[in-house]
Amino acid sequence: MTRENTIDIFLKNAKSVGAGTVLAADLDELKQSVSKIIEDTEPVYCPGKTDKEAAVIPPEEKRAPDYFSAQATVEEVFGAIAETGSIVCSSQDGRELQAGLLPAHHVAIVARENIFSTLDDFFSSLGPEIPTNITFITGPSRTADIELTLTVGVHGPERLDVIVC
Amino acid sequence: MSKPKTSLDFRKNSVEALADTAMREAMRNSTAVFSGHREQGFSTVPDLESWRDRASDIRSRVLDNLSEYVDKFAANATSAGAVVYRAKDAEASRDIIAAILRDRGAKKVVKAKSMVSEEVYLNAHLEEQGVEVVETDLGEYIVQLAKERPSHILAPALHKNRRQIGELFAKHLGVDYTDDPEVLTKIARKVLRKKFLEAAAGISGANFAVADTGSIILFTNEGNGRMVTTLPRLHIAILTIEKIIPSLTDLSAFIRLLPRSATGQIHSSYMSIITGTRNPGEETGAEELHIVLLDNGRWDILAGECREILKCIRCGACMNVCPVYGSVGGHAYGSTYPGPMGIILTTMLEGMEKSHPLLDATTLCGVCADVCPVRVPLLKLLYTLRERRTKEGLVPSLERTAMAAFGLVVKSPTLFSWGQGMSRISWPLLSKIPGSETLERLPKPVKDTFRRRMS
Repeated sequence: MTRENTIDIFLKNAKSVGAGTVLAADLDELKQSVSKIIEDTEPVYCPGKTDKEAAVIPPEEKRAPDYFSAQATVEEVFGAIAETGSIVCSSQDGRELQAGLLPAHHVAIVARENIFSTLDDFFSSLGPEIPTNITFITGPSRTADIELTLTVGVHGPERLDVIVC
Repeated sequence: MSKPKTSLDFRKNSVEALADTAMREAMRNSTAVFSGHREQGFSTVPDLESWRDRASDIRSRVLDNLSEYVDKFAANATSAGAVVYRAKDAEASRDIIAAILRDRGAKKVVKAKSMVSEEVYLNAHLEEQGVEVVETDLGEYIVQLAKERPSHILAPALHKNRRQIGELFAKHLGVDYTDDPEVLTKIARKVLRKKFLEAAAGISGANFAVADTGSIILFTNEGNGRMVTTLPRLHIAILTIEKIIPSLTDLSAFIRLLPRSATGQIHSSYMSIITGTRNPGEETGAEELHIVLLDNGRWDILAGECREILKCIRCGACMNVCPVYGSVGGHAYGSTYPGPMGIILTTMLEGMEKSHPLLDATTLCGVCADVCPVRVPLLKLLYTLRERRTKEGLVPSLERTAMAAFGLVVKSPTLFSWGQGMSRISWPLLSKIPGSETLERLPKPVKDTFRRRMS
């Protein structure tokens, strides 16, 4: 399977589970899509730790000091899995998984080279030392506990946007 | 209103359940929706049978070497920073958890849904010790407010309609009545968010535990499982020993089957792989992780003829397709686990003498076995237990006498012929006897019988 193919399948599956999806060609396009997505949202938390995160840090007046007070979090995540349309978050390198959980809106950036084709590819890539927390996120937080009526955003984000760059 | 039953007297419980029209309406809609989702979830899967084979083989391998895998899991979880406890029974597990909380002065606990904690009645025990326990799965929170127990292993409040839930929220949370699921969900989000941030400890179950890495795995849709395991500094997980899988590479087999079988989803919204405690340089993970590995009868089940029930991954598919479950709902079983897997597991856990009435809660149609993603031979196990019940003389005496009489009659052509004639003559009389209403649903005996036409 080619890389383009894997990216296509990932975006298609992520969309089918209720995530917003964008394919950005370069950092400029990434920047534009992030500002568009968070246009009407503030404050926004962005750790700014990776190159991609540094490129999309919101202007100061829009910035949240921490994820507890944020309406949205913009961050680069560890990777993604095409087969299930999931993004993968990991606690390695001091990443805060709660940042993509507490605010109502999660904007996740995935580097195109970090998309795995299948679940098996992902699990075989893990070394013997694994981080304390690896979480797969597949669409927004949802529940159907009241008469099986699907409702999003019960505890986690009600909106998930995924940008492949 | 559907009340949790504490007795396993299925015949009595089911008569009451069938009279509850609100519950029956809710069940009729929801089991159909669940089954439809499941079918849809698998509709695009090219080779489901090979997925089922793989998952079934992994679960069988675990059961064949369970002791080895449990030791391996415990050793690896310990080296990752967890404290692992082995609890023989429900009481031991409750005492361990109560002591952990007491020693740390933890008075407020948030909980993610765990059927094992229901099995050991953990909440009631902790509340007696003065601990505030808040269920955070929306369905579980609803049944906790109603002081009930879950009626489905995945959708605990399946038996309740939106009006009942609206009234419950208005009464307990001081909000205006609404029966809009979206508004009700937002109310719960606000109330429970505060609880998450205040809690001193989080208690969760686990869908799986990985022997090779010492990790525990949690599948959730709401995100409460993630909060419970990452926000408080102290995390306690309770799980039964058979939840182990050998390695993380095996997990893909269950990611493909569990959410699809349960809700038709390609993947649940969240799945967390939690391995030990927070390492230096990490910003996520509990500072203390305690894992309680509970036996509660599993070693005995493993040694017996119903051991394959321990392959179960708790997807709920067997109850969603069961015609009995769909009619009477989960509370009529009077047990922690309802539906076909529940009948078998409960009989094994509680013993034949106490739970044999539950063996009536099946039509033996076998659809449960057809849908089981890990090939638990549910129908075969139901037969095995029903045979054992007969051998142990636990069938109701009227049924036993009737069967013995029928056996005698069919052995003799003369008696059989006489019986046929008699049944026709006495039918109008028999159907007048109070309590014999079921006769009206049976075909009436005819004069020109099949046997007569053939002779």
